[in-house]
Amino acid sequence: MHELSIASTILDRAQVASEQNGGARVTKIGLRIGEISGVEPDALTFGIEALSKDTPMQGAVLEVEFCKRKQRCSACAAEFEPEGFLAICPTCHGDQSECIAGKELDVMFFELEDLPCA
Amino acid sequence: MRVDVEEKVLSENDRLALGLRERYRKHKVFCVNLISSPGSGKTALLERTLEALPKTAKVALLTGDLQTENDARRLAKAGFPVKQITTGGTCHLDARMIIKALEDWDLDAIDILFVENVGNLVCPTSYDLGEHAKIVVLSVTEGEDKPLKYPAIFAISELCVINKIDLLPYVPFDLAQAIANARQVHPGMEVVETSCTKVQGLDAWLAWIERRRKQAMEPGTAKGPAKGHEG
Repeated sequence: MHELSIASTILDRAQVASEQNGGARVTKIGLRIGEISGVEPDALTFGIEALSKDTPMQGAVLEVEFCKRKQRCSACAAEFEPEGFLAICPTCHGDQSECIAGKELDVMFFELEDLPCA
Repeated sequence: MRVDVEEKVLSENDRLALGLRERYRKHKVFCVNLISSPGSGKTALLERTLEALPKTAKVALLTGDLQTENDARRLAKAGFPVKQITTGGTCHLDARMIIKALEDWDLDAIDILFVENVGNLVCPTSYDLGEHAKIVVLSVTEGEDKPLKYPAIFAISELCVINKIDLLPYVPFDLAQAIANARQVHPGMEVVETSCTKVQGLDAWLAWIERRRKQAMEPGTAKGPAKGHEG
């Protein structure tokens, strides 16, 4: 359950965004999560719900862009999306490759409620 | 109103880990991060390691648990500097905890720093501690399919230590299949087999540490000190 500490880090960023905009409520949090980032979106959602109570982030919706794992073959440079964890190049059947996508764990954007003009 | 951010959630940890990596390079410290399920024998492996080293070896240890100083007490018997990191409820060590624990240590007096992570095969995977290598420990009482169930940690660890091999006659653990499973998620993964109660396989383990330490001290090589975190 390291999702709780990750949720806490995301909410810290959102809090800063809120403070920079007059304490506006945060209505949406945009995230990019890779297939092998080690983060479960459901657990993260739970963490954000639990930790955002009585803050400007309470009730914020999570919008998650999910990234498939992608490998580049070290032998023939083919790029492929492996099935499961086994990473065999479908072009040359080499077993050495580097991960070029799938580890993402990024905050993309926050959507804040527009404050009425004073 | 939309505020674009686009940055890594763990960028703060990555930044601190980069700082640690730089300090290790400067002070010629070789650091490994040991990760496993609870009870697979990380502490016992380190106990046997310390007993096998000459008293003059410049070795230090950080050991993480949710509660108690028990592991630090066990490891301190060998006479090397040891510090316990109690995380409270946190299921992994992060770079900030390592920096705090190293505050009053002279890194020039350390050649090898062993970091024993909190027993957990999932969460420590996400946190770079600035180490040169992650090492995953798997014991024969756990089942040979563990690399397939928890592939991420096996994919990013350089070495797999299969521990408690003295128990092989008593448990339904297929050693060859376990190694095959580890290499399925991490082609070419290095494996050493150890027993810490019967003291078997320690030579291969110590040889791996020494070989990898020498690599880490060679500037400009793929496994040398300039290497950054992949994640």
